Amino acid sequence: MSNSTVWDATKHPNRLLSGNNVLIFCLLFAALVFVFLLNIGIGSIKISLPDVASIIIHRIRNDSVNSVIVWDIRLPRSLAAVTGGAAIAVAGLMLQTFFRNPIVDSYVLGVSSGSTLFMALIMLGGFTLGISTLSPFFMFFGAFLGALIVTAAILLFACKVRSAVTLLVIGLMIGYLCSAATGLFTTFADNEKVKGFMMWSMGSFAGFTWEQVKLLTFLGVPFLFLSLAVSKPLNAFMLGEDYAKSMGVNIKFFRIFIIFVASLLTAIVTAFAGPIAFVGMAVPHIARLTLRTSDNRFLMPATILFGGIITSLCDLVARTILAPSELTISTVTSFFGVPIVIWLLMNRRTVL
Amino acid sequence: MKMLETRDLTVGHEKKPIVEGINLEITQGHLIALLGPNGAGKSTILKSLSGLLAPVKGAIYIHGSDLSRIKRKTLSKVLAVVLTERLNAGFLTSYDVTATGRYPHTGFLGKLGAEDKTKVLDCLRVVNAEKLAWRYFNELSDGEKQKVLLARALAQEPELIILDEPTTHLDVRHKLEVMAILKRLSREKGITVIFSLHEIDLALKSCDTAILVKDGRIVSCGSPEKVGNNEVSALYDIDCAGYNAFMGTIEISNSGEPSVFIVGGAGKATGIYRMLTRNNVGFCTGILHENDVDCHIAETIGVITVKEKPFQNIGLKAYREAQNLIRETSLVVDTGFPIAESNSFNRKLVLEALQDGQRVCTMRDKKENRQLYGDWADEMIYCHTAAEILQHCDGTKTFHDRRERLKSVNSE
Repeated sequence: MSNSTVWDATKHPNRLLSGNNVLIFCLLFAALVFVFLLNIGIGSIKISLPDVASIIIHRIRNDSVNSVIVWDIRLPRSLAAVTGGAAIAVAGLMLQTFFRNPIVDSYVLGVSSGSTLFMALIMLGGFTLGISTLSPFFMFFGAFLGALIVTAAILLFACKVRSAVTLLVIGLMIGYLCSAATGLFTTFADNEKVKGFMMWSMGSFAGFTWEQVKLLTFLGVPFLFLSLAVSKPLNAFMLGEDYAKSMGVNIKFFRIFIIFVASLLTAIVTAFAGPIAFVGMAVPHIARLTLRTSDNRFLMPATILFGGIITSLCDLVARTILAPSELTISTVTSFFGVPIVIWLLMNRRTVL
Repeated sequence: MKMLETRDLTVGHEKKPIVEGINLEITQGHLIALLGPNGAGKSTILKSLSGLLAPVKGAIYIHGSDLSRIKRKTLSKVLAVVLTERLNAGFLTSYDVTATGRYPHTGFLGKLGAEDKTKVLDCLRVVNAEKLAWRYFNELSDGEKQKVLLARALAQEPELIILDEPTTHLDVRHKLEVMAILKRLSREKGITVIFSLHEIDLALKSCDTAILVKDGRIVSCGSPEKVGNNEVSALYDIDCAGYNAFMGTIEISNSGEPSVFIVGGAGKATGIYRMLTRNNVGFCTGILHENDVDCHIAETIGVITVKEKPFQNIGLKAYREAQNLIRETSLVVDTGFPIAESNSFNRKLVLEALQDGQRVCTMRDKKENRQLYGDWADEMIYCHTAAEILQHCDGTKTFHDRRERLKSVNSE
């Protein structure tokens, strides 16, 4: 073993990744910043990118139209799209890896169905707990609570159930149950309210206030870092729970931890922006197929960046393509994302 | 040195015992094979030994300390596993898969240091898979995958590797290669290897200790030499075939009425035995020295065999016995065995059959036969391949018919 092979990273199927992974992440980060600024600049009133940059960097907060638009409307919304997109994309990656199933995301696990049910309860059923006006924070609280209750139920099962697949099916069943209950409320609600509820359930980043963005960031960013920290055990989980166990992974702890983090990330976003389809399932695939690796130590940051980029782009399209009408985010993510993912899948060399 | 020990161990799922009363003492650096029929509980035993399944009763000790009390992380540096379940590694290369084995040795974020990277490649080299390092795991053949999974286990730098059916789905070359690697690991690196295997012959030829599992208990445990023929045949309830531990071969049993007598020796008859058995033609054979390959095979097939003690001239007793058998068959086959003083009676058997008017097939050429049998050579049926002999086994005069005929002759 003396004439040992030199560590030659250039032989890795993805040269960019192993040779100089800094480069690809720099590119992704630059793309994210660009899309972020673009999202602020484009709209009914166009602001050039240098102007956007200078307004943000020099903290110009005066009464000029541009400043008001940037600071009060588009900046919080863009920040929300980036953070929210990153959060649900990462949640999707964690769950796909943990369940070793390419079609899983936090929606399949029923987390957002819990949010939807509670929103139906509030918006359609009129459960206001005595509060007369539907403040945005009350709605957030309700949606968050719904996601948490479903998460708690799944975690309870996670302690009892031995196989990950069984757990997945249970999640799916809980999701159906929540949808059924939501359907019940929809049947007996006013048409006017149903339309509002339908719009909410398609997701949108419109009308994000700074308070909401702060909450989203303060809750979301720590969890994003937590998810980066579990990339090592996630790699072990990729080979199956038995292998993970034999390598010294604390299965019970990480199973609960992964589901908990993924669910919370979803809950935060869903509570503010409503369920956002497709991003959680597709972005991990886009990251995997672009980087050509399943190593979570690289995938995790790439998914965060891709999640931010793609969600921002979709949000941009949602509000500009049929202006002054605004599309829901799920409409755009599905319309634009699905062909991309199918194309990537058709060109892949190996199974996911 | 005692590496692993079980005391009064009962293994099973959900408190339901599958194998009970397991008391094993496993020596460091040994190669241990677990044999038994499907569903005997081999996998359950292996899963319990590797700490993936809690024992129903009793305890497992590694270096004297209770397995269930050892920290997972500590254990993962002592014990690694290769499981049967097929895995989907997505976009992971063989290198990446092997690198996951460094888990217990890397830090919080799992970053591989220069030393780790070298070790991963070294592990791949040990299993002859360094060329596969940069290929996607999912694109490899079953044999190559198995080698990479073995490298992954090695990357944990364990003292003990437990493998569940490491040769399933592999072709012969990879089966032998995997076994050779395991052997090398135990001999050169002193790693204790415990595996389950379905290839009895391969297992008994390579392991230091064989453990036979059947009907919820350990039937036998010891060196392959100690575990005899019958125990192995009984282990699998084989009745349609015989197993010869000495030769390490499995032969399909032949229980047909003998209609052919095969004069063999020096392995010349083995191919014919197998051909006839395949075609359901019963036969008997002789006169074989007990150390002859033909004798081992014939006895494993389970046909009537006329034998003589090794390195002795064939005696009159065996000769008479063979003569009687020949009289009751319809065809004699001269397999072209080499003739020396010790088996000169075999030449006489063939000659006498010819003089008796028996049909005799021969695998020799005419010139040789003239030297051996003189003018009788013209009466022989010349066959170049075993398949040609089959055409002359018409079965019109079977053992049974002749016995009837002899009876009637005698009564007259």
